[in-house]
Amino acid sequence: MTTAIQRPTRPPFYRDVTVLKWVFQIVFLIGIVTVFWLLGSFSIANLAKQNLAVSWDFMARPVGFQVAEGFTTLPESGFQALLVGITNMLRVTISGILAATILGVIIGVSRLSHNWLVNKLATVYIETIRNIPLLVQIVFWGIVVSIIPDIVVDETSDGSLKSLFGLRLLPEGWIFASPKGFAMPWLVPTDGRWQWVGFMIVGAVAALYAYRWRIRLQEAGTAEARAFLWSGGVLVAFAIVGTFAHPVMGIFGPVFGFVAAFFQNTPIIIFQIVLAGLAVGGAYYIIKKRLDELRTPAGLGKLTDDDWFRLAMAAVVASGLALFFLLQSGPVKAIVGQGTIFGQEIGLSQLFTGLESRFSFVSGAPFDFSLPAIDGRFNNYAADAGHVITRAYFALWIGVVLYTAAFIGEAVRAGVLAVPKGQTEAGFAVGLRRSQLLRMIVLPQAFRIILPPVGNQYLNLAKNTSLGIAVAYPDIVQVGQTIFNQTGQTIPIVISWMAWYSFVSLTLSAIVNRWNKKLKLVER
Amino acid sequence: MTDQAIIDCRGVKKWFGDFQALRGVDLEVTKGEVVVIIGPSGSGKSTFIRCINRLEVHQEGQIFVDGIELTNDVRNIEAIRKDVGMVFQSFNLFPHLTIMQNITLAPIWVKKQSKSEAEAYGRELLERVGIPEQADKYPGQLSGGQQQRVAIARALAMKPQIMLFDEPTSALDPEMVKEVLDAMKELAKEGMTMIVVTHEMGFAREVADRVLFFDYGQLVEAGTPEHFFTNPQHDRTKLFLSQIL
Repeated sequence: MTTAIQRPTRPPFYRDVTVLKWVFQIVFLIGIVTVFWLLGSFSIANLAKQNLAVSWDFMARPVGFQVAEGFTTLPESGFQALLVGITNMLRVTISGILAATILGVIIGVSRLSHNWLVNKLATVYIETIRNIPLLVQIVFWGIVVSIIPDIVVDETSDGSLKSLFGLRLLPEGWIFASPKGFAMPWLVPTDGRWQWVGFMIVGAVAALYAYRWRIRLQEAGTAEARAFLWSGGVLVAFAIVGTFAHPVMGIFGPVFGFVAAFFQNTPIIIFQIVLAGLAVGGAYYIIKKRLDELRTPAGLGKLTDDDWFRLAMAAVVASGLALFFLLQSGPVKAIVGQGTIFGQEIGLSQLFTGLESRFSFVSGAPFDFSLPAIDGRFNNYAADAGHVITRAYFALWIGVVLYTAAFIGEAVRAGVLAVPKGQTEAGFAVGLRRSQLLRMIVLPQAFRIILPPVGNQYLNLAKNTSLGIAVAYPDIVQVGQTIFNQTGQTIPIVISWMAWYSFVSLTLSAIVNRWNKKLKLVER
Repeated sequence: MTDQAIIDCRGVKKWFGDFQALRGVDLEVTKGEVVVIIGPSGSGKSTFIRCINRLEVHQEGQIFVDGIELTNDVRNIEAIRKDVGMVFQSFNLFPHLTIMQNITLAPIWVKKQSKSEAEAYGRELLERVGIPEQADKYPGQLSGGQQQRVAIARALAMKPQIMLFDEPTSALDPEMVKEVLDAMKELAKEGMTMIVVTHEMGFAREVADRVLFFDYGQLVEAGTPEHFFTNPQHDRTKLFLSQIL
């Protein structure tokens, strides 16, 4: 017995979900582009009225100011000045993330401690630090450094310098503290450092293989792993041998020279075709991957409207990029080093020329031991002697580290507490020791809970370094501000800031997301 | 203590703050015996078997396992835990490790067996509990009954002399209870010494050598299943049985 099936009639387009979705997506896209285009053209028009045409010329022109610290204090161009700001920002961010992680884990574990004093100290730390605005803390640390008594040059006797802490443990003159900051002995890198770093990259690869080898032996049951010890040992061995043997890496000099010449001399059209090919290939890869994911054993699964939109976007963006590369030789020339970006020659060819000259250089030790020194009438630290931590750097660094560590500590505590008690009991019941239980059961499970919030804290730390402006730390914000005070070019500077912070944040979160995905529990 | 007593408890007492959970429990279990503990919730039966592998610390009395006394001596605790396997109500499998890794973790790290040796035995155990094909999956991908059977295999991987079961079927869907009970019956037949806390009266009647009734932190009555289910002596036991049977 069959009943007549009523064929569904196609609804009118204004009730059809498929049509509506497409219309909304496209309208939304057009809307966003329009808003930004309008905002941009209004501000350009307004600036033009004040005789301030938006221009990126300052990037190539010399700037008339000095930067307080960085890889150079006398930047040759606006671009280089921003670059100094960027490296200064990275310096605080990277060392800050490392320090905040270590301190945060210690604080978090202390809060779980059964030792009453340790526990309460950690609690007081967290509650104090979390509840005071970071800006206030950074200013506070700046003030703390500025009230350190200044260095007194003892001219009555032999003219030697009195250091503050060095009296007992260290020879006199090793560590200084003054309102200008701190100075300490340091291994100052010399010209041989590039070869040494190259040597250490080889060493890192060797250490990785040593690690895998030990794990394999352990799994085969022939030896205890001690994998960390082994790989660490390999790294140390390379570091020591590299101190003497680093000129070996000089053989890479000509190789880099060859690569530089290749980028310099190959006709630009070839790079244009390759880049266009990469764009198209990338889109092909993304589309294919997506289609493979949607494939069911029976064949290609049904694509939803969202899928279609996504695939169409990938194709459109890729063909746009490919066309851009094919039609515009300028940007491609800049990338490979046959042209300029903002008047700077900073393409791939120049990069490899730089590497060539650095690797071919044959020198003595990669590092020189150097003691700090005082320079001039105002008791400034000499720039190239020892390691100087300026007041601004210290205040910003300690501020963001202490602040971020408090939040990381809370995340660590929450993560460890979130591992069910049954896991510990089951671990004990099969006979694991407390240390094994922590390492193999509790921490791996706590870690996956801790990682997302801690990744967020890393992002916060990176962005919070911009508060260094309160103590005049010359990061990209402070340097940029100086530039637009001189040139009036606010829009290009703000665009540079936003581009840089977005780049850092997106990179960091991409790393964390990737890691997080890897750790995800497998469930149905 | 007779020669054969593998577990010997004398006057075991335990407090949680003001609350006394165990009020002096005496028990001897001989090798190969299957002891089932029943009783109302809060009667101290779980606390008692958790004292046997020191997941809970008893405060008075003595517990000997295989001649070793449970004290604060870490070496004794470790030795006893190697000899005593435990299966929990909520499985407690390690969710970040595969089934095979769950089973081989302790043999490799505690008994220092080689991975291949541990995996060969692990495969044998999975065969015995009836799920050899699940070795490379993660606990989250298995049903409750399968997870509990993996938990049994994980405990057996240490080749223990004694197995403790803490309400192993209470968290399972009714239709999965049987597969776990079957695995336990198998184990009892092979001569494993077992202490089982459970509400499965059918299992108690069929498998137990001895049934203990706990109430109010005390061992109220003990006897063979036959005695227990047909002719209980204590009023409290009668009341309990009348309510659940």
